[in-house]
Amino acid sequence: MNRSTKRSLSEKQMGYLLIFPALLIILVIAIWPVMRSFWISLHDIRLNDPTKSEIHSSYGLDMERYVSTLPNLLRYVKREADSAQGSSKEKLNALQAQIEQMNTSLNQTGEVASRYQMIDQLLLDFKPVPIELKYVSLSNEQTESIKTSLAEVRAVLLQMSEQKLLSKPEGALGVIQGIEASIIEPNFVGFTYYKKFLTDARMWGALYNTAFFTVISVAIELVLGILIALLINRPFRGRSLVRATVLIPWAIPTVISAMMWKFLYDGQNGIVAYLFEQAGLISDMGMLLTTKAGAMFSVILADVWKTTPFMALLLFAGLQTIPQSLYEAASVDGATRTQQFFRITLPMLKSTILVALLFRTLDAFRVFDLIYTLTGGAPGNSTETISIYAYKTMFAQMSFGEGSALAVIVFLCVVLISIGYVKILGADLLSDGSGK
Amino acid sequence: MRKHTGPLFYVGLLLFVFLVMFPFLWILLAALKPPAELFGERAFHFIIQNPSFDNFVRVFTERPFARYLWNSTVVATLTTLYSITIASFAAYAIAWLSFRGKAIILGVVLAVSMFPQIATLSPIFMFMQSMGLTNSYIGLIIPYTTFALPLAIWNLTIFFRKIPSDLGEAAKVDGASIWQTMTKVFFPLAMPGVFTTAILVFIAAWNEFLFALTLNTQEAMKTVPVGIVMFQGMFTIPWGEISAASIIVTIPLVVMVLIFQRRIISGLTSGAVKE
Repeated sequence: MNRSTKRSLSEKQMGYLLIFPALLIILVIAIWPVMRSFWISLHDIRLNDPTKSEIHSSYGLDMERYVSTLPNLLRYVKREADSAQGSSKEKLNALQAQIEQMNTSLNQTGEVASRYQMIDQLLLDFKPVPIELKYVSLSNEQTESIKTSLAEVRAVLLQMSEQKLLSKPEGALGVIQGIEASIIEPNFVGFTYYKKFLTDARMWGALYNTAFFTVISVAIELVLGILIALLINRPFRGRSLVRATVLIPWAIPTVISAMMWKFLYDGQNGIVAYLFEQAGLISDMGMLLTTKAGAMFSVILADVWKTTPFMALLLFAGLQTIPQSLYEAASVDGATRTQQFFRITLPMLKSTILVALLFRTLDAFRVFDLIYTLTGGAPGNSTETISIYAYKTMFAQMSFGEGSALAVIVFLCVVLISIGYVKILGADLLSDGSGK
Repeated sequence: MRKHTGPLFYVGLLLFVFLVMFPFLWILLAALKPPAELFGERAFHFIIQNPSFDNFVRVFTERPFARYLWNSTVVATLTTLYSITIASFAAYAIAWLSFRGKAIILGVVLAVSMFPQIATLSPIFMFMQSMGLTNSYIGLIIPYTTFALPLAIWNLTIFFRKIPSDLGEAAKVDGASIWQTMTKVFFPLAMPGVFTTAILVFIAAWNEFLFALTLNTQEAMKTVPVGIVMFQGMFTIPWGEISAASIIVTIPLVVMVLIFQRRIISGLTSGAVKE
């Protein structure tokens, strides 16, 4: 990309050109998925149910399933007809005709007919059916007519099996259900999940746990962070060693620190549980991970250990920007250390503290790794946060629409928290230092 | 704050360092203990009677831990390289070129860096599944962009703004094109900032858990954090091996922190960026 040509770009164009790839990627990989999450949350999507594994806005037919089950139904009815006598033989022959009629009318749209042959051939060769061939849209009338035909066939077969006229009555319903399962219903459910969660005790419990965890751990981290920042702000020997020490908990993966703490809290062999018991803080070593209060305390302690350093470093950077002359002047005027701290240090640190609080609050609010590893939300959902609940809904129950609704709720909470902080902070956060 | 530092201060300091380091020290002991001393009678002893490296050996021989390390290294390195490259251009433009809408762009970048990952998970998972990209490196690197790119742009912008812009003006007066200004004047000065940002992005990608947990479920494609969490069986948790694996993962990070601590601290604090 050598720009020695005469037609070089203006600075403005160059600027937009350089920014463009980054913005495009952010738009496609971060912003679009969030919107898409919201869209998904309005649908009933279940990855373990082939007819609901994606968003369907209209009626349709799972051709693969239809093509592989329809012959079974025909074969079944034919076999019953062959072994039946008199009036029931006629009935079954009529059913056979009705099913064939249904299939013919369905095949009248060119779409279904041509695909039927193709898929039939693929299934015969034991080849996978490509996704673009798999689904075909049906009109509402078509769907209605298939459903009515199937319902009629079912009714007749049921009646005959009750009259003991079928040789294999249990096979009848199976094949009918197989075909019914190939009809794809539109799975748009609107705000059903959101309405459900408004009155869902587990959701409110998870929200309360998240808020409790966030407020308590961030508050403790702030107080400890200020103390540590004041400590490493003083000149002393070995300062860099202490700073490195403080950084290590920040650098290790959260799940690894969670595993470490899980071992330290262990009811049989955990040293921390043992020490707490010896000190009389808990009556029994197992209490830390098996009681509600104990588990919440454990999670908060592990989080405080992991993230206080980060807080301390931010505040330490803030302390460095306070001019020493302020303290000197205050000393001359006879202010005590305590007064100096409350009258100079804290006000000067205000914006740093707010920024640190903003980042930590949002981080704590979306906590996942730590709790997933340490307690998994146990005991009895007492440490289940909203992110954990969303994850479980998506990947344990495979209910993606519902899980996405919870994820959107997390997102909305994060937006609200951010707006709150930005209102307090004003525009300091984004002020353009270069003033261009 | 120019009080004389007495011995009491150092005692307090040592206690503080000990408290912070205690979990590591204990896990290191656990990794070196044979099973007989890890549980039961001697579980709470600091002195190991028969220290052994069995746990470390077992992590590599009985589990695909080397493979996890390799996966994590590949994913974190590629994520870092690609997000730093794209972010450098963007940050250069924001810091050094004049055009409208910078504050909005930075606002968007900052907002995206605060997105909860869970809110992007379901569409990304469904997309990767339909494209057959689950259990691949690229399938992890793409979603890692959601946090790596904003982090990189934000940090680099702050670093680049510190480079005096008169240099750019001077180069312009001397008749350098924008491209020449960028490569001859700007990049040599920007390297330290780029390097620091790369460390931060690398650590973030190395430590990521949620996407790795859901997208790469095959044994051969797991990353280190997911692999270690999955050591536990249904009824037993092999604490010795987990401890050894944790120590192996932690040591390189500790070394990195010790070598680059000044850089990391300046990177972390310069724009009050999230970890």
